[in-house]
Amino acid sequence: MAEDLVKLDIEERGDVVVAHVSGELDIAGASRTGERIAENVPTSARALVVNFSELEFIDSSGVAMLFGLARRLGSRRQQLRVVAPGGDAVSRVLEIVEFDRAAPIYTDVDEAIADVGADGDGDGDGDA
Amino acid sequence: MRRLPDLFDSRVKARSLAYLFSAGAALGLITLALPHGDAVKDLQLIVLALLAIAIAAIVWVQADRVSEWQLHVILACGTLILTLANYWTGAMSLYPILYVWTALYAFNFFDWRGAAGQMVLIAVGYAVVLIAQDPESPVVRWVLAVGTPTIVGLLILWMQSRLREEVARSEEGARELRESESRTRLVLDTAPDAFIAIDGEGTVMTWNAAAEALFGWTAAETLGNRLRDFIFPPGGREGHDARREEVVSAPEQIKVSRFEVELQRRDGSTFPAEETISRVRVGDDLLVSGFIRDISGQRRRQQEREALLREQAARAEAERVAEMVSGMQLLVDAALTHDQLDGLLGDLVTRVRGVVDADAATIYLTEEGERLVARAASGTRSTPSEAVPFGEGFAGRVAVVREAVLEQDFDPSRIRDPALGALGLRSLIGVPLVADRDVRGVLVVGAVNPRHFTAEDVGLLRLAADRVALAMEHVRLYEREHRVAVTLQRSLLPERLPNVPGFAVSARYQPAATEPGVGGDWFDVIPIPGGSIGLVMGDVAGKGLVAASMVGQLRSALRAYALEGHEPARVVEQLNRLLWTDASESRMATLVYAVVDATGAGVRWVNAGHLPPMLAIDGGTPRFLEGGRSVPLGVLPFPTFEEVSASIEPGATVVLYTDGLVERPGSHIDAGLARLVEVVGEAPDDPEALCDHVLEVLVPNGGASDDVALLALRNIPMGDRFNMEFPTQPEALASMRALLRRWLRHAGGSEQEIAEITTACGEAATNTIEHAGARAGAPFELSARLEGDEVELSVRDYGAWRAPRPGDQGRGLSLMRALMDSVEVEPGPQGTTVRLRRRLNGA
Repeated sequence: MAEDLVKLDIEERGDVVVAHVSGELDIAGASRTGERIAENVPTSARALVVNFSELEFIDSSGVAMLFGLARRLGSRRQQLRVVAPGGDAVSRVLEIVEFDRAAPIYTDVDEAIADVGADGDGDGDGDA
Repeated sequence: MRRLPDLFDSRVKARSLAYLFSAGAALGLITLALPHGDAVKDLQLIVLALLAIAIAAIVWVQADRVSEWQLHVILACGTLILTLANYWTGAMSLYPILYVWTALYAFNFFDWRGAAGQMVLIAVGYAVVLIAQDPESPVVRWVLAVGTPTIVGLLILWMQSRLREEVARSEEGARELRESESRTRLVLDTAPDAFIAIDGEGTVMTWNAAAEALFGWTAAETLGNRLRDFIFPPGGREGHDARREEVVSAPEQIKVSRFEVELQRRDGSTFPAEETISRVRVGDDLLVSGFIRDISGQRRRQQEREALLREQAARAEAERVAEMVSGMQLLVDAALTHDQLDGLLGDLVTRVRGVVDADAATIYLTEEGERLVARAASGTRSTPSEAVPFGEGFAGRVAVVREAVLEQDFDPSRIRDPALGALGLRSLIGVPLVADRDVRGVLVVGAVNPRHFTAEDVGLLRLAADRVALAMEHVRLYEREHRVAVTLQRSLLPERLPNVPGFAVSARYQPAATEPGVGGDWFDVIPIPGGSIGLVMGDVAGKGLVAASMVGQLRSALRAYALEGHEPARVVEQLNRLLWTDASESRMATLVYAVVDATGAGVRWVNAGHLPPMLAIDGGTPRFLEGGRSVPLGVLPFPTFEEVSASIEPGATVVLYTDGLVERPGSHIDAGLARLVEVVGEAPDDPEALCDHVLEVLVPNGGASDDVALLALRNIPMGDRFNMEFPTQPEALASMRALLRRWLRHAGGSEQEIAEITTACGEAATNTIEHAGARAGAPFELSARLEGDEVELSVRDYGAWRAPRPGDQGRGLSLMRALMDSVEVEPGPQGTTVRLRRRLNGA
């Protein structure tokens, strides 16, 4: 199956790009999904919010993609925020790999966007 | 000696005798008047004269009654009287002269015996007289008196005999004439043909019995009347006049003419007749006679004979045509019964040879570069294999002239093909096989006899060639289309059904046994991302290439829509739009699209005009998945496709099929569906075995009249353990996870536990896939086992375990360890096994 299990919707809220990722994110679609998200983040954007609220599954490939995005944005001085509702398998995985060391995790998209402003110049590495 | 007729009748004789007596008496009396001697006794002489006169008077009166012998007696009396008179007149009188008269009478009227008797009487009587008188030289007197009448009498006898002979001859002639006339009349009267004679004016002179019978007019009615008023129909009279004029005015003495004319009977009916007319000119008179024969019978016989001949000719022609038609029919039949060119050609060449009664026949086909290659032959020992360029040899010549060529006296040594040349063919016909204005080949027939073939055979062969060319073209096109269609259809039907974990899928496609075309039945099994499975069973109206290409479009579109993750109803809607907007073809298709969800808990389906799917439940009666039915695709622009769902228990089987499985000529489809329920109900659970069983029972003998497609998917009931292989490909992971989730649910895991264990197992599989390298595509194996409340999962590959590299890749192992109670990596020579264990706490 060349088709993606993953579905990606890009939303721009001001200077924040929100990427809604749903479906299952595994080795079959992770890297391509990461590239597509990166393509949709212009240099003018202040931050990227990756919304995993609808994501059913993530494995290490998805995690690797997320770390990759974090590095890429960091080098462009753009912030990365991840939304994961918690209590599900996705949150558990992010927790295990301690992704919150790379980017802050929120339970809600609005909260994440609001935090972009609060975070000021938003150094993605900084929160732990 | 022939008896001659009497010259005189008795009356003439009697009257002549009376004249003789009276003349004698008169002479005697006159003599007495002259001066005479005393010796003459006058008185006695007068008495004698009176006696003679009296006798003459009696004889005259009784002339009609006097008989022959009375005449003799009377004449004898006369001689006696004369002798007495001679006695009484004396020796010097001239009375002896009177003996001459008596003798002349006797010789004239009596036969020679009577005359001789009278002469004896005279001789004796006169001798007595002379003796009594004693005259001078009495002997001389006697001799003179007897001799003179005797000589004169003999002269008379001779003359009379001549006269009698002439009379006899003349009587004979008259008799013969009479007999001839009566014979002629008899002939004419009994003649089968009517005989009519007319004079120059057209007046009927003769009208025989046959004419009476033929025309119905009697001789009495016609004789003396004008012929034209009797036997000619009103319109034919002028013709008769003209003919008569022609016959009459002909200069020849005798003219005979024949005419065929229409004549009329008394009752007005007409008939064809043959007239044979002869004209005889007799001095100034003309006689036109004609034999008339009714030739209607003859003409009828001739017509019958002609009709018979025509009928025989027509029958022969009909038989020939029938033979030709049946020969042609054979050719056409050959075209219809073959779908392959070589078989067709072999059949055709034999049949063509039969049609024209040839000794050998060969079909050459045009190959690349204008060369002819014999592809089929009949009557030769081997098919010639050498290619003949256009323009060379007999066949090559035919290909160039593009016309039928007939060789009546061919030199066999000029035949290029050794196979044909060896037969010594002398008579050849070659006709080009033309299709689309191209010479596609040449048909050659040959016969050993020179001049064996006729121009008709050429025409026949030309007709045959048209059909052969047509048949070839038909088969060529059919072959091409069939090849493409079959190829296309095979490419459209799943070559191999996807391996869907937790489900067993089987499918069968059986082309129609009787229909050579490619049907529009199709099916598909689509693994949908996330582990659910799309099942498609469809039937496109029509057959052949068009149907196959339509199937291709539908299949591609359906896969695309399905993989985009659209709901079944939405997928079918899109398909309908595709068909509806495809304006080039007015196409219709039925279809069932069913999606069995990844958990195996349920099925959702849409039915666009297709037969209902069937759900076979373990140990129960199969039921049809009714509902969700709507119109077929391509019928309405915006139909509503209803999506219906049903749960499928573990062990249940979804069966999809096309109408070829249940429709039978002459029986209602409900009967077919009922039979299907029955057959599926008794079938084994395993889909492979189920399909085999269903086909074996419902489609025996290897084929139905229609295509049959059958698809069965079974929701395999899961036990405490399972073992499954997956391809070492990223795309296999979703299916693996779906299966694992189903099993973990069955094992009693909580959602959290299921998600976590699935994630861990996925990591193990991902590791295997990432390091598959050259072994990509080789399967890895997942074994699951539930021991009490502990789950043990083993992911085993057939390569060496690679130690995780630092960085991102290491997270997999970290995750596994974090999510599971224990993670063991067991490298081995055959491969690596990762064993994961976790105790379930349940919800």
